[in-house]
Amino acid sequence: MRTLRKNDAKARLAAGQHVIALEGLNDADTIERLGIMNPHAVWLEGEHNLVSPPNIADMTRAADLANTTSIVRVNRVEEGLIYQALDLGAQGVAVPHVDTREDAETVVRAGKFSPLGKRGMYGSRQGLGDPDFFKKANDETMLIAFIEDVIALDNLDEILKVDHIDVFLVGPGDMSQSMGHLGEPFHPEVTRALEDAVRKIVAAGRTAGTVGNHENVARYMELGARFFLTSPLPWIGEGYADLRQQVGATR
Amino acid sequence: MAELRVNKAKQKLANGEVAVAFASWGYGGADALERLVDLEPDAIWLEAEHGGVDFSNIGELTRAIDLIGASPIVRIHQNEPGVIYRTMDLGAQGIVVPHVNTREEAEVVVHAGKFAPIGLRGSFTSRQGIGVPNYQSLANDQTMLIVLIEDIVGVNNLDEILKVDNIDVFFVAPGDLAQTMGLIGQPHHPDVQAVVDESLRKIVAAGRTAGALVSNENAAHHLEQGVKFFLGASPPWIESGLIEMNRRAEA
Repeated sequence: MRTLRKNDAKARLAAGQHVIALEGLNDADTIERLGIMNPHAVWLEGEHNLVSPPNIADMTRAADLANTTSIVRVNRVEEGLIYQALDLGAQGVAVPHVDTREDAETVVRAGKFSPLGKRGMYGSRQGLGDPDFFKKANDETMLIAFIEDVIALDNLDEILKVDHIDVFLVGPGDMSQSMGHLGEPFHPEVTRALEDAVRKIVAAGRTAGTVGNHENVARYMELGARFFLTSPLPWIGEGYADLRQQVGATR
Repeated sequence: MAELRVNKAKQKLANGEVAVAFASWGYGGADALERLVDLEPDAIWLEAEHGGVDFSNIGELTRAIDLIGASPIVRIHQNEPGVIYRTMDLGAQGIVVPHVNTREEAEVVVHAGKFAPIGLRGSFTSRQGIGVPNYQSLANDQTMLIVLIEDIVGVNNLDEILKVDNIDVFFVAPGDLAQTMGLIGQPHHPDVQAVVDESLRKIVAAGRTAGALVSNENAAHHLEQGVKFFLGASPPWIESGLIEMNRRAEA
């Protein structure tokens, strides 16, 4: 017997605390090695990168063993992809391009068992050994909807009426593209739109998130956002550049 | 027709410059490594003595490293000619051989890692040689051989080992050394460090190239000792970045 693993990232958000999800670690050994640093969550990239059903179990097992919450971004708003990721062991699923209320409802229908939704019936890897899995699963499953298109901003009031979505994550990359500023995720107009969206999400009593870094995290915390999808790549770059400097190396 | 890829780390050492290798433990996978392009690393150290690198993924990993212009270096798990040249055939530009304890063992490394007239590396066109006319005549100039001096017996035989030509780096590693000195788990013990310092001094005095695993804190000290080949690992950089991110979120 064992009991269903708690979703620590979800618990932090429920307590009003921030969550940092480290991305770019699409490798089980890397996840297990970095897990001891206690990131609140690890982000497994299946919208744009190699995370897919054959490797989700291995990667999420590594996250489980490192006591960090595993979140898989699936490729699109599609019910089968959402619950398959959960069944393979993800504790959370992020869904890109949630543009309408109907899209948001699809996420909940696929990500939650009845009576909240109708997630396909199967025992997730996370449920092994817990006889009450089906009763508890909804409480430990995290759903993240990406608000990253202009059309989603137009529909945001309606989207925010959908319950059981833990985080509405405003994405600068695609938003910049849909606003006509391709490749300029930090264009002032894009930032303004994202900040307005965060204010609206927070005002509706929901949890907002964005792509976070050392430079913007304090600002977004002040606006009320609590979830930060974060790449360690800049920190690796700084560490390596500093090491190079220590030994007088050139590029 | 193609030109044989230049071994960046070897070339830097030949120019009298230092080379800084990036250890892939803690940030692994071909995709993650290819994302290090902006760091312009001199070399990437792939871990096959203790890590998950093996014949099934050396091709994939070294291809990613080729594309960012760094030298792919693989630490293999035993001093075995077949393992040495097969690793090179799959695309490694450099080999690190653990536990080289005698002059004869150092000679085995050269015998397996270099084509005639220097050695007798198995005749085959490496992935690095695809499309390169006269590959086997050119290969020795772009392949890098690194031996690990990491046992007290290796230290005691160091004068003899240093007589073996065509080894690019003599890398002194304190972890196993501590173990063979009866000080397991104490690589920073003064007795171990004294042996490390003396070994580095001897390597430099013999006109050979010394290497060491360093942190950002002790790298400058090793530079002063004459070390030219540095290995750095990213987990401390990621950890301090994560700590700073949390600090800024909570400020």
